[in-house]
Amino acid sequence: MTGLLGLSWRLLRGGGRGGLLGAGLTAVAVAVSTALLLFAVSANLAFQGRAEREAWRNPVAADTGVVAVQAVRRDYVRDLGITVVDVAALRPGAAPPPGLDRFPAPGEVWFSPALAELVRELPAGELAGRFPEKVGGTVGDEALVHPGELVAVRGQEPDAPVMTVKAPQDPLTGTAPTRVAGFTGEPTNDAQAYQALALIATVLMAVPLLVFGGAAARLTVARRDQRLAALRLVGATPGQVVLMTVAEAVITAAAGAVAGVALYGLLTPLLGGIEIAGGSWFAADLWPGVPYTLAVLAAVPLLVGLSAVVGLRRVVVSPLGVAKRETPPAMRVVRVLALLAVLATVPALGAGTAAGVVAVVLGLAFLAINLTGPWVVGVIGRITARTARGPARLLAGRRLVDDPRAAWRTVSGVAMTGFVAGFIGLLSPGSGLLGDADATTLRLTVPAARVSQLTEEARERLSAAGVPARVKVTGEGGDRTLAVTVTEAARVDEAVIDRARTALDGMVPGRGATSEADEERFGVLLLQDVGTGTVVVLTVSFLVAIVSAGITAASSVLDRRQTYALLRLAGTPLEVLNRARRAETLVPLAVMGGGSIVVGMFCALPFSFSAMNVSGLTVLLACVVLGFAGVAGAGAASAPLLRSVTADPAPRPD
Amino acid sequence: MKRFGATVALGGVALRIGRGEAVAIMGPSGSGKSTLLHCLAGIMKPDGGEVHLLGQRIDTMRERERSALRRTRFGFVFQFGQLLPELPAEENVALPLMLGGVSRGDAVRRAREWFGPLGLGGMEGRRPGELSGGQAQRVAIARALATRPAVVFADEPTGALDQATGQDTMRLLVEATRGNDASLVVVTHDPQVARWCDRTVEVRDGQVLSPGGYGAPVPSGGYGAAGASGVTGTAEAMGAAGAAGAATRILPGVNG
Repeated sequence: MTGLLGLSWRLLRGGGRGGLLGAGLTAVAVAVSTALLLFAVSANLAFQGRAEREAWRNPVAADTGVVAVQAVRRDYVRDLGITVVDVAALRPGAAPPPGLDRFPAPGEVWFSPALAELVRELPAGELAGRFPEKVGGTVGDEALVHPGELVAVRGQEPDAPVMTVKAPQDPLTGTAPTRVAGFTGEPTNDAQAYQALALIATVLMAVPLLVFGGAAARLTVARRDQRLAALRLVGATPGQVVLMTVAEAVITAAAGAVAGVALYGLLTPLLGGIEIAGGSWFAADLWPGVPYTLAVLAAVPLLVGLSAVVGLRRVVVSPLGVAKRETPPAMRVVRVLALLAVLATVPALGAGTAAGVVAVVLGLAFLAINLTGPWVVGVIGRITARTARGPARLLAGRRLVDDPRAAWRTVSGVAMTGFVAGFIGLLSPGSGLLGDADATTLRLTVPAARVSQLTEEARERLSAAGVPARVKVTGEGGDRTLAVTVTEAARVDEAVIDRARTALDGMVPGRGATSEADEERFGVLLLQDVGTGTVVVLTVSFLVAIVSAGITAASSVLDRRQTYALLRLAGTPLEVLNRARRAETLVPLAVMGGGSIVVGMFCALPFSFSAMNVSGLTVLLACVVLGFAGVAGAGAASAPLLRSVTADPAPRPD
Repeated sequence: MKRFGATVALGGVALRIGRGEAVAIMGPSGSGKSTLLHCLAGIMKPDGGEVHLLGQRIDTMRERERSALRRTRFGFVFQFGQLLPELPAEENVALPLMLGGVSRGDAVRRAREWFGPLGLGGMEGRRPGELSGGQAQRVAIARALATRPAVVFADEPTGALDQATGQDTMRLLVEATRGNDASLVVVTHDPQVARWCDRTVEVRDGQVLSPGGYGAPVPSGGYGAAGASGVTGTAEAMGAAGAAGAATRILPGVNG
């Protein structure tokens, strides 16, 4: 056992420059995969962390053990939202809300760091005027969704108007005073929606990553095929061959995985700056923690080892198979049936389907495309070879038929990204969904009984604050709306609106004056987030795809260096070889990339609420252009390698 | 002359090969025989000296021109690995023709014509992995001759074959080359292989010891290397002018 491991290690080290280069490429591929896998894991944990930190502001009513009353309201300043939490202790010694060192006494306010800074920066009449209370402290990070979040926690008497008012329960504007047994709360619907989106994004990123990692493992095996077949010929048992290969792949992958963790550490500040739900991330959010990091560090080499075993199957089954290079058996149509079976389940999905189920179906669709890919590449190869007129296309076609899996490895990343692009392209909401909301009219809901008194008070307050505005009453029934339109005489800017907001603050307990634009802000934010998510997922996918294409192209040159050298020696122009290489990548890419986009769009159909729109189309087009350019560029990058490996004409056994 | 770093792989070489002639280049491992073949075939550029084909100097040509020359005027047979594993035998033979601009249909038709005479009838559609070593070498011979080259270069063509198959392969190689009026240059260390050739050139330590029974080592600067300073020898092949009669002259048999 130890002897075998030692032999594997010596084979790895003694592989010469080409062997080390190949192992290096595998390690790089594994490092990139590991870093991105950690990112995918961390992203989910980060959203979970946000949901947990936000939960205390989503109070759950309690019948027994009530210790406090809590009310939450949404306020606005500039184009930012402020969460204002009012708390009143019902019994002494009640535990404070998270992030506060003690329970706020009536007349005290705690600001989050970002809000404290804004309060200092802006004129008092625009923001500070809304919080006349004495500052008791700073809300800690453990109670904030993101570092820039604006949160104010005010202490109130239990019988204060704001703690007794019956405000309607609208998650967009806040939560009415609720008697709570503690500040645990429960994750908000929004937070859960973000978690679901993060899970789907993870699947969209992780499956290509795993495929990529697997491809990297096969890369090691491909180079070892001949040598291991030779070992089998001299009597090594299948078990020994498997062990040696796995050992070699796992050693390489372990080194790559460790490098990947370091790479992720370096990338964290960059990734932490990505704004989702209105803010960037705490550094701790993106640290997956020791157990997850160890799990990834263990899982990646294991997966690579497993992939190596699968890749070796043919060598183990038949020692002559690889050594003699027989025609590989044609792939079965059952691969296509698997894809069709998965696609058949798609129409059953809908907006109401649980995110987990959607994630599973998407993952299966991905895997099915990956299964179908080599089969389609084989078919494309046969067609290309049959119809080829020149040597380059003939070489490309025969190569595709000979090893469709290898050709698929080169393009699978981009084809998978085509799936993601197709899926997202159809889902991207158009910017037309949200109109230009009015930001200059603030609306305040008031009880009908006090409408005239409050109208008068509003006018006085606005006048005192120096805001020229018209106040109108609209609506019917128990609640009326005061519509405060800042008059056009004044220069209507955000500062004036904030002065009006501050002037009207506290007039009706538990309610603030908001504009249509404020109310649409959440929708705008969600659209922005979907856009950001799209960019992140596509960037990761393309990064993986293009690195994958580059690595497989380079390894394919290394694997075939003897053939290329002899062809060149016999006078084949380098250009013909490069043309053949391009054709053997771009032809399957065109077919499979296009096919994957269509499959992706089909999977998105049950969830799309509008027809394909301009922004979705732009995303798709950008992906198609990027994909082709990326793969062509990655292939071109290995042209100097081809030149250098064919420069040495002496054929040698390898 | 050809150097690899400080090592002189080839020096003091003067050689002429006549049309239709089969020449064996023999010598122990590391003697420089393969380097000589690579210089003659325009694969390597000698650091000194001249190489001529039909009076045309080829060692000064640019890589693109030498590549075209190798494609059109030379054929190659190696010990192994020269056939593309993914191509059926007939397409392996047709490939050089297609590279020369012949249409695929014509190229495959012309390629097939070689299979019968070389004892490969019925194997046109097989892939190299499905052929025996001797069969694969015969396909390689067909490929080398398909373009009707002036010279066929063979580097240890029987090195991977048993003796009987090796002899058979050599017979076919020599006959087919002669039949096409091409010259043959075979690098080997096997006297049995060399016996098939018209003459044997001994190479040792980068020097030609016996240019086909025409005498002793060629002195430095001999064989018409006039004016080329620093030239220690001339690898001159295939019918250059001057010093006629010092070696057999080969004229390539391009009979289309």
